[in-house]
Amino acid sequence: MSVDTTGLSRRSLLKGVSGAALVGSSFGPLLAPTRARAQSSKLVRVLAVEDPFFFSMKAMIPDFEKETGVKVELESLSYDALQARLVSAFVAKTSDADVIAVDQMWLGQYLDNGWIISLNDFIAKDKDIDLADFIPEVLYSSNTWRGQIATLPVAAYAQGVMYRKDILEQFGIATPPTQTSEAWTWDAYLNALKSLDGKQFGGKPLFPTVVCGSQPSPIVHMFTQISASHGANWFKAFPTSPWNFEPQLTGPAWMKSVDIYRELYKLSPPEAINYVWFDAGTRFAKGDIGMFYWWTPYFYLIKNSGYMTGKKSDIMGKYAAAAMPKAAGVEQTISLGGWSLGVPSSSANQEAGYAFIKWATSKATQKKMALWPDLNYQFSDFARVSLYKDEEVKAIYPYLDVQYAMMKQGNGKITRPPVPGYTALESVLGLTLNQLLTGAADPKVALETTNGLFTSILKGNLMIPYQKESFGDTLSEAKALISKLGKS
Amino acid sequence: MSVQTVLAPQAEKPVRPSFVRRYLPYLLIAPSVIMLLSLIAYPLLFALRSSLYFWNLQIAPQPLTFVGLANYVQALNAFDFRDALVNTLVLSVTGTAIEFAFGLAIALLLLKALPGMNVVRALLILPTTIAPIVVGFLFRYLYDPGGGLITWLLRVFGAPVPPMGLLGSPTTALAAVLFADVWQWTPFFAIVLYASLLSVPDEIIEAARLDRASPLTMLIRIKLPLIRRTAVIIAMLRFMQLFNTFDTVLVLTRGGPGTSTRTLGYSLYEQGLINFNIGLVSAMTWITVLIVNIIVALYVSFAFRNEEW
Repeated sequence: MSVDTTGLSRRSLLKGVSGAALVGSSFGPLLAPTRARAQSSKLVRVLAVEDPFFFSMKAMIPDFEKETGVKVELESLSYDALQARLVSAFVAKTSDADVIAVDQMWLGQYLDNGWIISLNDFIAKDKDIDLADFIPEVLYSSNTWRGQIATLPVAAYAQGVMYRKDILEQFGIATPPTQTSEAWTWDAYLNALKSLDGKQFGGKPLFPTVVCGSQPSPIVHMFTQISASHGANWFKAFPTSPWNFEPQLTGPAWMKSVDIYRELYKLSPPEAINYVWFDAGTRFAKGDIGMFYWWTPYFYLIKNSGYMTGKKSDIMGKYAAAAMPKAAGVEQTISLGGWSLGVPSSSANQEAGYAFIKWATSKATQKKMALWPDLNYQFSDFARVSLYKDEEVKAIYPYLDVQYAMMKQGNGKITRPPVPGYTALESVLGLTLNQLLTGAADPKVALETTNGLFTSILKGNLMIPYQKESFGDTLSEAKALISKLGKS
Repeated sequence: MSVQTVLAPQAEKPVRPSFVRRYLPYLLIAPSVIMLLSLIAYPLLFALRSSLYFWNLQIAPQPLTFVGLANYVQALNAFDFRDALVNTLVLSVTGTAIEFAFGLAIALLLLKALPGMNVVRALLILPTTIAPIVVGFLFRYLYDPGGGLITWLLRVFGAPVPPMGLLGSPTTALAAVLFADVWQWTPFFAIVLYASLLSVPDEIIEAARLDRASPLTMLIRIKLPLIRRTAVIIAMLRFMQLFNTFDTVLVLTRGGPGTSTRTLGYSLYEQGLINFNIGLVSAMTWITVLIVNIIVALYVSFAFRNEEW
């Protein structure tokens, strides 16, 4: 008897495929590689963002693993994706990482919601953290909230001016000072730029400056340096206690700042209306911009023709850095920013997380990150005083004195208040500023409308009147806390 | 004489189907229904509940207080709502119309047995396989005022290009976003309409040709009516997709300059994933759902009238 094995009916084929699919979907997830969970202290998961510090820190990870025997799982995301992922994990109460990068604007929200832990206890018990070596203005602006140090800074940014030495020399413009000076005002800055208007350099049209016009964050980051310089405050009382979040955007300091920013845009390439952070730096590195101001990492990012490419730009060696201009008769305030590392409260590995943070923010590691030659030496965003005085580092990064001088005048809590609901306020302010640059709005009317929108948002978010307990969040309070924890 | 008694045939006793046989169809579709309910109905109901509370993750991790319809009022009075709604409607209606028209033209061309049409058919589907985010980045470079290909072509042909670039001018930014979408999704219409046109019987076309009907008459009086159902459905699907446009806007313009390219989808993203105002974004979600459903309901009642299904 012969058996016909060649016939395979469509029904049999469908049955077989369906069965295989069912089995596969049932058992497949069990076979898929599972995400490593840091159940023991032999693995620490770090979730960061791809700012310059990330690349040099990543290069140092083997050192940490060798020193401590702890493996590091390092991952990076974009700014928006990081924020979304962190908050999703917090709300779902899942443990996504043992160490996370925290922007100063998120600090209050994360700490108040119990999403990250305070590091006060860890720091108090740690004899060699050397807390006093951190720049107090940086710790105050980026790492403290309601008397708690919740994060430690891995990269600290101030703002400063970058200018083309050759262009200024050709047109007889005095080079700006490297320290804050009463002669170096915003009016002087504008006058210097206006003298470059319509000029050519090297046979090509020259733009005096470049700004960021993209809403909401880039334009607000750049504009608020001008408003802070002029003594503008977002609210009636913050961070001094008692907190009063009635918005103050209709004051003369805001009007003057808007006028200056519009003037700067007129002196910029028109397409700057859509420029995000790195676009402004890239444009300066292309060679047709005379002078601009931006976050201090750009002092060295513009050495490269592309972000983290290591390929030298055409302007390397032809530019220098200078102090930010100030408003006449107003004490200078510099915008501070940067990135810090914190420990999620959901982490089961908080000790290892703190150990990693201590290592990443230590003087030794930060110096190694600075001396890492790949990508053309891109990390100088120190939060530690000692590194600004280190001769070996200064030989590679010639503008550290300017950076340090700007840091010492920094106040991140005034320039961009890290209050709950900040992102909604930033959206509105960013839109208004963008419309003012395109000429779509009258400045006085626009600021009054924005002030009204701020009030409506703050009332809707239960911030007016403020119902929680206020905290006298000043630099002197922060210094006292640093001193207390450092002596413990 | 014998009398034969004829007995009436006895009726067969009805056999009740077993429990399994009776309920098997429901059991088999149950997983799909449960999945549909959990993936669609549950999130919508959760959003409905959230929309009635003040819940902002920047303020507190859980809902704080019942506010009734306050979130809806806030959403409708938002500074960007009107502009976002107008931009969304312009994108959806204009985009669907343009993509349909071009798609139909390409489909009619594909019907002709021209050399190379097989290759064209294969290449045509490529844009739809690219993720919208990638298309956004691609067009960001194409629109670059310093040297993007599209900017250069426009200047070569003497078309006015704003000094700040197509994406930097409030008058051209929305059209630039629309063009990127038309480039990506017109082939989708072309492929589907082409397949639908292939099902038009040759005899009808031949008969029309014998009656000396012009190509335009054949298109309007014969082909379009015969592919009407398919055309109506894909136009509706594409309209709903365009209504939720967000990723291309995020990459190209972030809703700017000003609010010239802000869409309802982008506003939802901003409120939900940047501002973390869960109560407000839930209300905005329901407002968007209602708007889309009203428009689609009107469209369906108009397009499907006199239809026998």
